[in-house]
Amino acid sequence: MTDTTTSETASVDSRAEVDAAVALEGVWKRFGEQVAVRDMNLTIGRGEFFSMLGPSGCGKTTTLRMIAGFEQPSEGRLLLEGQPVADVPPYRRNVNTVFQGYALFEHLDVFRNVAFGLERKKVEKAEIRRRVGEALELVRLTGRERARPRELSGGMKQRVALARALVNHPAVLLLDEPLGALDLQLRKQMQVELKEIQREVGITFVYVTHDQEEALAVSDRIAVMNEGVIVQCGAPEEVYEKPERPFVAGFIGISNLLEGVVEGGAVRLSGGALASAPVPASCAAGTAVQLSVRPEKIALDELIEDGMVVLSGVVVERVYLGTTTQVIVELAPGVRLVALEQNTYRARSDDRWELGTQVRLGWRPEHGLVLREG
Amino acid sequence: MGASRFAGRFLIPGGVWLLLFFAVPLGIVLAISFGTTDDLGGAIYGWYPSNYSRVFDPVFLPVLARSVGYALATVALCLLIGYPVAYYIARFGGRRKHALIALVIVPSFVNYLVRTYAWVAILSDEGLANGIPHDVGLSDGGIRFLNTPWAVIGGLVYGYVAFMVLPVYGALDRMDPALIEAGKDLYGSRWQTFRHVMWPTTFQGVLAGCVLVFLPAVGDFVSAQLLGGPDTFMVGNLIQQQFFGAENWPFGAALTTVMMLFLMVWMVFYLRSAAKAAREGAAAAV
Amino acid sequence: MSVEAPVRPDAAPAPRRVRRSSDQAREFDRPRFLVGFTGLFYLFLFLPIAIVVLFSFNAERSLQVFGGFSLRWYDAFLSSESYRSSLTASIEIALVTMVVATVLGTTLAFGLVRSRGRTGGAFNVLMLVPLVTPEIVAGVSALLLFTQMGLRLSLETIMLAHITFSISYVTVVVRARLAALDPEIEAAAMDLGATRMEVMRLVILPALWPAILASGLLVFALSFDDFVLSFFTTGESPQPLPVRIYSAIRFGVTPTINAIGTLMLAISVIAIGLALALPRLFGRRESGLGVLLGEEGA
Repeated sequence: MTDTTTSETASVDSRAEVDAAVALEGVWKRFGEQVAVRDMNLTIGRGEFFSMLGPSGCGKTTTLRMIAGFEQPSEGRLLLEGQPVADVPPYRRNVNTVFQGYALFEHLDVFRNVAFGLERKKVEKAEIRRRVGEALELVRLTGRERARPRELSGGMKQRVALARALVNHPAVLLLDEPLGALDLQLRKQMQVELKEIQREVGITFVYVTHDQEEALAVSDRIAVMNEGVIVQCGAPEEVYEKPERPFVAGFIGISNLLEGVVEGGAVRLSGGALASAPVPASCAAGTAVQLSVRPEKIALDELIEDGMVVLSGVVVERVYLGTTTQVIVELAPGVRLVALEQNTYRARSDDRWELGTQVRLGWRPEHGLVLREG
Repeated sequence: MGASRFAGRFLIPGGVWLLLFFAVPLGIVLAISFGTTDDLGGAIYGWYPSNYSRVFDPVFLPVLARSVGYALATVALCLLIGYPVAYYIARFGGRRKHALIALVIVPSFVNYLVRTYAWVAILSDEGLANGIPHDVGLSDGGIRFLNTPWAVIGGLVYGYVAFMVLPVYGALDRMDPALIEAGKDLYGSRWQTFRHVMWPTTFQGVLAGCVLVFLPAVGDFVSAQLLGGPDTFMVGNLIQQQFFGAENWPFGAALTTVMMLFLMVWMVFYLRSAAKAAREGAAAAV
Repeated sequence: MSVEAPVRPDAAPAPRRVRRSSDQAREFDRPRFLVGFTGLFYLFLFLPIAIVVLFSFNAERSLQVFGGFSLRWYDAFLSSESYRSSLTASIEIALVTMVVATVLGTTLAFGLVRSRGRTGGAFNVLMLVPLVTPEIVAGVSALLLFTQMGLRLSLETIMLAHITFSISYVTVVVRARLAALDPEIEAAAMDLGATRMEVMRLVILPALWPAILASGLLVFALSFDDFVLSFFTTGESPQPLPVRIYSAIRFGVTPTINAIGTLMLAISVIAIGLALALPRLFGRRESGLGVLLGEEGA
């Protein structure tokens, strides 16, 4: 139910945005003195599973609320399916939300909860019954129509919330940290289910989370946000393997940042060693940078290959995580790297590095990421 | 999105009603209090502040003083009686706590007049208070209970003691029992523990109870009328008399205003104390 | 205060009793005194009530001697036309007060919870003052309002006065319940297409009705029992029951008054009992008055 506006109000270059489910142009959001969202420009395509990832207070939830209509941008334009929705209230937008606390109506049973949106649109009773049945089947809750929310577990409530939103066939589905209250196993299971459901119904999902693993698992594209700005936006592999800023490298996965200075096609680390690395053209010699290496790209001792950048240090900590063990190596006072010991069937029993042992670690030069602030 | 404006409209029905039927009448009381009566006894507006000086006339001053005195005595007795009871229920009530507190409230469901009248029946010359000692041989009947200050105060205490028990119970219930244990360790004696631990912690509850008893007690006229006599006249009786007997409405209004102002002072004092306590409590929690 | 036996180095440690919290409590005070005191208190509290109820069934006309069981005083009360009309009047007044005060108080609660700014604060004060206004002040101000407006005192004037001083009770109870509602629920309803009015009707009111009902019944009980306010605003006839009782006491005491008192007690208890029980009967876990007692989840 998008608002009909005259074509004069749509700018010429928004023709490209007609394909976009959601578009933000120069959007700012201020709360008094505080800036929650800063000059945001964003396009979300139809059928995309798009995530906004960042720490608390980064503006991801505020952005979601603006798309839903609960907040108005202080500046800038917001378009849904190509139409500006500046003064359109939430109940007239073709957008539905799955809330963090589920927000189920306690005085209604599951059927009436899910049917709520359809009843508002005055859909026919028979049609309602059909669509509610479909929605419940989709989230695998068939047969629970008469149950009350208080009789349901967290996971079930989450699915009712999802069905309640999806049954209306919105153009965009907004999900505000929907899995936050669930335990780990259930969360992982629901992540897979959500992804499957999204593929099945083809609706654009806009997902907010602070759990980077979750974002990587479900998204087609991730926008990493900090302090009201999108720091980097791209596919999960891109954001993980090629972070553009130290913040992104640090927020997703372990970043293993080493301070250094550009010297030719390498980085002179603060400890003195020279590490070959893919230095971007924009970094002139002498520029202060940070070199980042993902732990899984680090080889220890005998596993080091020719041509790798090699450093040495002392094992100061081991953290057992089940599938892997983190081996924390101190290269110099205050400078530590995290490497991984795999616990796979290929691991040999003498592939263990005990506390206090001297160890050499290395990585292929192309696995070093040269990052700069700003 | 206009949530505030939408909600604002809901203030109108109730708000307008309260303005018309509560605030305006208070203004009228104030206005009439400066008026006087005409020859036929009707009230007319004017500027006669002498009504107020008349309030403090030596004829009436004892009535005012007596009202405050009785009310204070009532508060003191309610506290002496109510605190231990509240303490017992809070600490030793266990699972029956709620039932015990409900039982304190239940007598309030009997009409105040009927309750007071029951005491009249008990304390009268033919009542149980005389009958039982007589039957037991302790007296020869004819003890005069009614028409004394203590009968009136007793009636007031009976009427309002629940208002003391409830807030004190609330404060005691919320108090961490470990505090008492700690106090016992620190101070040793029961009295010291009470003085240094229990009293300060429950002080706000006690204050609330005192206010809830004092305010209605000052203006009460039912107890004084039924249980007392001309010597126990309270300001409530005086006011009632102006409107239903002496027909001096302006003077009655002046008395009412004076009483209202007097009570407002204590109300403000209490609200400030409670707000201060709330602020300190929040600060301490941080 | 437990006394530990001195431990001899080569002796087995003395078995220590597992201390329960009730033990700890009892060690400190002398509960026997407190139990007695509290017992006396309840006796003091209920003695007059018991006497009122007991002697309402007295076959004799006495207040001291119980001469046998009889319903004559109830009969006297119910067959007296003037008492009957007073009872009807009291119930009428209480019902009207309940309905109107509930509506006005609930809407006021909405307005206070949601609106921000100074008007909200001012109305909040306006709502709270009636709660702390002494009854006699309330009576006087109501009487003056009606006479200065030229109204004749009647049942209607009593209703107006009762409503005025009942609104605040409803607002306080409903507001507490409203503030405890999950704000996400309303956002969810709007997200699903409900306009603000629909949100009110379909989501908020259903969640609120135990509190509304409870405060309504509370108002009923308070109005039914009210004396001072009614005394100042009543007309000649019919007069509400408490006012009639007052006149009866002034002019001659009979056990009929006991009968009336007992009946009024019964009606009030039923009203409060309904307030507590009805929500549970309708499948709600909480009762509206739980809010007043600070219960969790209420």
